[in-house]
Amino acid sequence: MSIKINKKEVLRYLGGTAKNNDNLTDRLIDECIGEIKEISVPKSQFRIFDIKKNQNNIKILNSILILKGKDIIKYLIYSKKVAIMAVTLGIQVDQRIKYYTNIDLTKAVIFDACATTYIEAISDNLESDIKEIANQSNCNLTFRFSPGYGDFSLVVQDNILKVLNSSRIIGLTVSNEHILIPSKSVTAIIGFEDKSKKKPTGKVQKRIDNEKCKTCLRYKNCIYLQEGTFCEFRKKNL
Amino acid sequence: MNFVKKIFEEKEKKFLLFDSAMGTTLQKMGLKAGEIPELFNFTHSDIIFDIHKQNIEAGSDIIITNTFGANEIKLKGCQYSVEDIVHKAVSLARKAAGKKYVALDLGPTGQLLEPLGSLKFEQAYDLYKRQVLAGVDAGVDLILIETISDLYEAKAAILAAKENSNLPVFCTMTFDQNGRTLTGTDPITMVNVLEGLGVDVIGLNCSLGPKEILPIVNEILKYAKIPVMVQPNAGLPEYVDGETVFNVSPEEFATVMVEIAKKGVRILGGCCGTTPEFIVKLHEELKDIDPAVPKPISYTCACSSTKTIIFNKNQPKIIGERINPTGNKNIKNALIDQDYGAIINEAIVQKEAGADVLDVNIGLLEIDEPVTMVKIIKELQGIIDIPLQIDSANFEALEAGARVFNGKPILNSVTGKKEHMEQIFPIVKKYGTCVIGLTMDERGLPKSIEQRVEIAEKIIKTANQYGIHKNNILIDCLVLTASTHQDQVLKSLKAMQIIKQKFGVTTVLGASNISFGLPHRDLINQTFLAMALTYGLDAPITDPLIPEIIETISAYRVLSDIDKNAEDFISRYSNKQSEKLLPKEKTKESLSNIIIKGLLNQVEQKTLELLKDTQPLSIIDNHLIPSLDIVGDMYDSGDIFLPQLIRSAETVKKAFKIIKSNMPQEQEKALSKGKILLATVAGDVHDIGKNIVKVLLENYGFNVIDLGKDVPIDSIVSTCIEQNIKLVGLSALMTPTVENMKKTIEKLQKSDNECKIMVGGAVLNEKYAKIINADYYGKDAREAVNIAKKFFQKN
Repeated sequence: MSIKINKKEVLRYLGGTAKNNDNLTDRLIDECIGEIKEISVPKSQFRIFDIKKNQNNIKILNSILILKGKDIIKYLIYSKKVAIMAVTLGIQVDQRIKYYTNIDLTKAVIFDACATTYIEAISDNLESDIKEIANQSNCNLTFRFSPGYGDFSLVVQDNILKVLNSSRIIGLTVSNEHILIPSKSVTAIIGFEDKSKKKPTGKVQKRIDNEKCKTCLRYKNCIYLQEGTFCEFRKKNL
Repeated sequence: MNFVKKIFEEKEKKFLLFDSAMGTTLQKMGLKAGEIPELFNFTHSDIIFDIHKQNIEAGSDIIITNTFGANEIKLKGCQYSVEDIVHKAVSLARKAAGKKYVALDLGPTGQLLEPLGSLKFEQAYDLYKRQVLAGVDAGVDLILIETISDLYEAKAAILAAKENSNLPVFCTMTFDQNGRTLTGTDPITMVNVLEGLGVDVIGLNCSLGPKEILPIVNEILKYAKIPVMVQPNAGLPEYVDGETVFNVSPEEFATVMVEIAKKGVRILGGCCGTTPEFIVKLHEELKDIDPAVPKPISYTCACSSTKTIIFNKNQPKIIGERINPTGNKNIKNALIDQDYGAIINEAIVQKEAGADVLDVNIGLLEIDEPVTMVKIIKELQGIIDIPLQIDSANFEALEAGARVFNGKPILNSVTGKKEHMEQIFPIVKKYGTCVIGLTMDERGLPKSIEQRVEIAEKIIKTANQYGIHKNNILIDCLVLTASTHQDQVLKSLKAMQIIKQKFGVTTVLGASNISFGLPHRDLINQTFLAMALTYGLDAPITDPLIPEIIETISAYRVLSDIDKNAEDFISRYSNKQSEKLLPKEKTKESLSNIIIKGLLNQVEQKTLELLKDTQPLSIIDNHLIPSLDIVGDMYDSGDIFLPQLIRSAETVKKAFKIIKSNMPQEQEKALSKGKILLATVAGDVHDIGKNIVKVLLENYGFNVIDLGKDVPIDSIVSTCIEQNIKLVGLSALMTPTVENMKKTIEKLQKSDNECKIMVGGAVLNEKYAKIINADYYGKDAREAVNIAKKFFQKN
């Protein structure tokens, strides 16, 4: 898989700017990018399902999965199908981060940020594959929505992975606390919206360029920003 | 006679056929995505029976029960127990099998094992044990452990199968196109570790089609001394509109499988995407084929889970000796304080310096050696990818270590004493390890060459009676110090040479003690090493941090015509002086600037310079702390960012270490500004944030007890009580683990030890910290330092 790790993104995760970045750090970032490319074993998968909606939940048809929560229901309000996707960099990346944490914490932190950037880029790439399929059936895609966003509980990870058979196919597993292992992994739901159906135009669908949100992992794909609002986490924290 | 041999020899069967896929077939029959396939044993028993029956009719000799995921983890919330499902599945298979064989299917647990995952090795063992016991009770003929990616999980399953049944055990792993399993195991490592554990058959299944699996089969056949089985998918899975399809036809499948059979694979079947039709074709095509006999190569090796180190004279291997409390204060303290950071560090520096294997000796009266051995091996194998040599005089520690090591370790050691061999060899055999045989016995240390050879022979022959091949024995001819036993040095070397020639075994030697009691020890060690290599030493046990060790080996390889045209030597040394002669980098920078700029390579010299005329405490108070404050302010104002802050902190850490090592111990204690316990709470495996907090707190002189990540509540509470901790820092990154943070706080506050708790982590904020009853909230590492400063000023 030849997907680029964008250095600017890495800097953003680390809180760096063109101004405060120095040569040594810059070189370390390059080194880490090279190393991640070398050792990681990126794997991705998705499946497309029909869905059945009611007021309280969304059933993923022909599967055991039921999506619950106000936010996911709102998010899929115009969708008729969904793609469920999973992506991982493999356990080697976790291992390397652990290794560096023990001997070179600076490198560990940079390595971690590079890995996060990479997994996002791979997710973007997979999303564009899904988009092609959506186009063929005259659909637009919603943005990626992952367990843990808003009130979409992490508990759902267990069944998402079961439905995709992820532990067997891409080696992605979930702990008793519903945390993905390997840790540099993403699961997400993407909605298919009919292009022909017109959405109500009450809200201004504009991305607010908000400095505070830029530190967030989800900044690029934040559904709240799409809507011109922001999430609970920001309300509380930032 | 073992099961497979009996079938091949007595029944004169040429090939043994397994069946076709269960899982993908069930999907076609209406199994919903994510549904437990084992439920079909009850809800659609006719379908399961049919699939079995069709396979038997197609020509399968062995059918696999529909129990791939029948373990407690995967069945969570299901109305049937493991035993219910195994019994039902076996009865369906048995009914269809008639006189053919039924294999109990054991798939992966579904969780990743420690240390990177959260499932403990012992838990994985228990999960498999329950399945095995149920299978034995239900009357299966053999156990098939399959589709395993993680070698450690395979080990847990094999031990569970062998310790809880007398059935034949087959084990197949699944490989990626890059030639490794998802957790990084390569074919040679798989063969050595699983064969060592005593399985009857090893092999490959799933993931790839027959064509793609072929190169991996070739690798396995190069090394395997036991029968090999192969069950590929019906081609590489392809994704069409998000659905998985397999495109290889039964004919194409059978054609490649015949090729595989011709190479020497005699047990064959199909995985995902295959159907009974594939077995029919395969059965037909194999009729006129005669099986080949593979010729595996013979060698001695040790393995981690991802790397196999083969011992051979062309490239002597270094066994790093530095993890040993004798003469190493850091290791000793780490063992007593149960803070294994120093041991991990010692492992990493040895590996980076070029060690091929690491000796782990933790012999200390103050600790429970078997228990500690398990903990340390688990820590080390999560970080280091080279094999370990488990070194102990306590055979319980040797066994405990061999059991939990993820790979094929070397045990150090056995002697020629009868009683000693009786204790050690069963461990070597059961866990498939290597063992170092010391040439001494009841008579003590031998004085003559002949006696050494005789003892070596006794060890090799006795091992053979236990079924241990001489490839798994490394002989150590024991060299004592030249200052006390000068006349014995050459005798040891000559004996080693004879033993090597006569028995064809690998040799090791401790190569550091020789110089004890003499001046200029490095010179003696270096010369001795050169001599020993010439006499046929394969692996010195030594200190890889001494540059002359590697240099001597490189030079030896030139002079003994191994390194042809001195290519390696020239590429290593043509532009380089001996590492010892390299001048240390000089600096004109002040210590303060060195810290602010994070100039890690200059801090040592500058600190030592200052120590000549400045009091240690004054360096800390007047140089280190003010510089750190400046760095902190720069960070707050955005002039620098996280990596630079950490680099400065690591620079201070290094300075601190140097200052401490130059201080008398009683003064060192006065340095501490207070003791703080840090932990990432149970369930949470993200600990980078906590580690940043740790290094900054230490920079400011706080004594940090770091319990690591995913720390059980009880262990935090008990450590607080034992060590009289007054300030605790807890970290959590994920929402669900904040619940565990809350529980930890509750327990701490109920305990007898009065302490305050600060919390931090991405999901927390001031308000949330209050809700879970924490005393302080630190938004970042800088804030944690301020909290600690204020706290210890008041208390």
